[in-house]
Amino acid sequence: MVGWSGLRKSLLVALFVAPMFLGVLIFNIYPILLNIYVSFTNYNRFHPNPDCDLWLNSIMEPRCWPMFRPRLPQGLGTPFTLQQPLYQNYSELFGRLFTSRALGDLAQIALCLIPLGLVFLLHRYWERRPGQLANRGWFWGGAFLASFALAAGLNLPRAVLDLMESGDFIAVVFRTVFFVAARVPLSFLLGLVLALILNRPSLPGRTLFRVVLFLPWAASSVAILMALVWQFFFREQGTINQLLALLGIKGPIWLNHPFSAFAIVVLVDVWFSYPFFMVVILGALQSIPQELYEAAEVDGASWWDQLLHITLPLIRPAVLPATVLTSITAFQMFGTAWAITNGGPITGVGKPGATEFVMIYAYKQIYQLQNYGRAAAFAVIIFGMLFLATLYSLRLTRITKGAYE
Amino acid sequence: MNRRTKPVVLIVSYLVLTLAALFAFYPIWFAILASGRIGDRLYTLNLLGMFIPTEWTFENYQTLLFDRPFLIWIRNSLYVAGLTTLGALLLSTSAAYAFSRFRFRGREFMLILLLAIQAFPGVLSLVAVALILTALGLFGKHLGLVMAYTAGALVFCTWNLKGYFDTIPIDLEEAAMIDGCDPIQAFLRITLPLARPALAVTALLAFLGAWGDFVLASVIVPAPDHMKTVVPALYSLANSVSIPWGQFAAGFVLMAIPTILVFLFLQRFFEAGLTLGGVKG
Repeated sequence: MVGWSGLRKSLLVALFVAPMFLGVLIFNIYPILLNIYVSFTNYNRFHPNPDCDLWLNSIMEPRCWPMFRPRLPQGLGTPFTLQQPLYQNYSELFGRLFTSRALGDLAQIALCLIPLGLVFLLHRYWERRPGQLANRGWFWGGAFLASFALAAGLNLPRAVLDLMESGDFIAVVFRTVFFVAARVPLSFLLGLVLALILNRPSLPGRTLFRVVLFLPWAASSVAILMALVWQFFFREQGTINQLLALLGIKGPIWLNHPFSAFAIVVLVDVWFSYPFFMVVILGALQSIPQELYEAAEVDGASWWDQLLHITLPLIRPAVLPATVLTSITAFQMFGTAWAITNGGPITGVGKPGATEFVMIYAYKQIYQLQNYGRAAAFAVIIFGMLFLATLYSLRLTRITKGAYE
Repeated sequence: MNRRTKPVVLIVSYLVLTLAALFAFYPIWFAILASGRIGDRLYTLNLLGMFIPTEWTFENYQTLLFDRPFLIWIRNSLYVAGLTTLGALLLSTSAAYAFSRFRFRGREFMLILLLAIQAFPGVLSLVAVALILTALGLFGKHLGLVMAYTAGALVFCTWNLKGYFDTIPIDLEEAAMIDGCDPIQAFLRITLPLARPALAVTALLAFLGAWGDFVLASVIVPAPDHMKTVVPALYSLANSVSIPWGQFAAGFVLMAIPTILVFLFLQRFFEAGLTLGGVKG
């Protein structure tokens, strides 16, 4: 670009970027550092104020800074300091994770996943050498069978349940992973089916259906209120049970059973998220050249063959990044479960509830229990996990491409 | 895929579409019906009443509008979301322009840093943000909420606008500069007017983000009732002991349905961005 260069350009860039960067520094980066610091303290409702004589507190805790010091209320309980030992909050979260029993369970779970992992690596190897057309379906089938046999042989459900007993962190993360594993494929399938139907250009009423089917995604802008409406369907005196009563059946209290509560949260979140897949897949479908299908038809390929060998492979580049993004979003789901179950139903005294996912757990620790130190420690670990997932998704979506150009 | 469709396929297609449309639309329709139902019941024993309005009253709307601080909640939300939009756009537009037009040291690092930050959801930094706001004396105040939202919207706005600036040909600005503009004038007079649609969409998304938020608002401004923004206020209305569900439904119709319509209007912008693997708003 013509115009200024040298010092004037540097000044100009600084002028343009500085306000935004200052905002990011104060409200995004500093909170992350402060959060890491708080995770090593016993900051909670019994120790609401900092001990400003501690030099780390006087540096990290903004309320201890000279200009804000006058606002600090005095004499409310004992002030918070560093935990003894320092990693106390983390060890409370992990519980008995690092005992031989829990680690044994973890090893069993890992063992069951080995066949799938191997075939996944093999698959990536094949992708780089498209010449070798081995029958991949058989390999995947074999891997699934092997994993399943291992799971049955090692009594995997017992290992998982046992592991989830070992501490809050593992229980919450496993539950969230189950949620993601149920919700993402379901919304993908629903989105795929609807996109395939809507892709027919000659279908009368297509535009209307598209708009109506997009509604749930639009409703996710006020997710928590929408989820409250859904919750009403499943209340003890809710719509579903009213309908059942008309048929003479006394409906169960849906939200009091761990399994049905979990299933309902999955259902409602599928409702919120399938339009995302539908839109992505529709976009991808429209970029597939029609000639491919015509050629396939000449060759006598059935509709099913066309789907497996033309449609799905060709929408993959668009769908894969979308799946990773939506998995990360699902991992952070908050509104749906909070409005419907509040994280419940209870699974035991002092244990996270049956639908207490990652964000719900963090929110409860902060909002209801005021257990800030532990919430911060939890946040640090989840930060780490999300950071890795995001790096992976950035590589996959190549969204940073623009940054290098 | 076949150009000539068999009747059976067509019938099955419509069956699936109709069921899906019912699934998609019924909860929203249900809330509309419930808002006009007589009494405090959201449901009705009348089977027909579950699908079409067999009885209708504006009682819930009246109570909500005149006996409860609904309009104040809306005003609070408009104020908070409006200031957030203004703040986020003011800070991010110039930065996005610099990222798009200048090559400087640390540019790539900053862009990727922004994306990495974007991945961290608000709930997780809530403890730290609350501490900072307390130190500033803004905890429990609308301005504190505005700051927290602005921080959340900054990254998204910057990336979104940068993406749009990248599509505006640089030649225009170069021509302007040859004619004697300096880079700041080129930015203000040439690029900004051209980027008006992108600015509008970005502003709308930043607005909607703050408008529909529950988590930050419920923690940073938990009380009193007349300070709340509309989403947490309606949430607590639905969860209060007396459970005025009809009023909640009326609030839903008045607040959520316009939001949903605005979002529907934005659909085509999403579709354009999504196929490129864009960031979800």
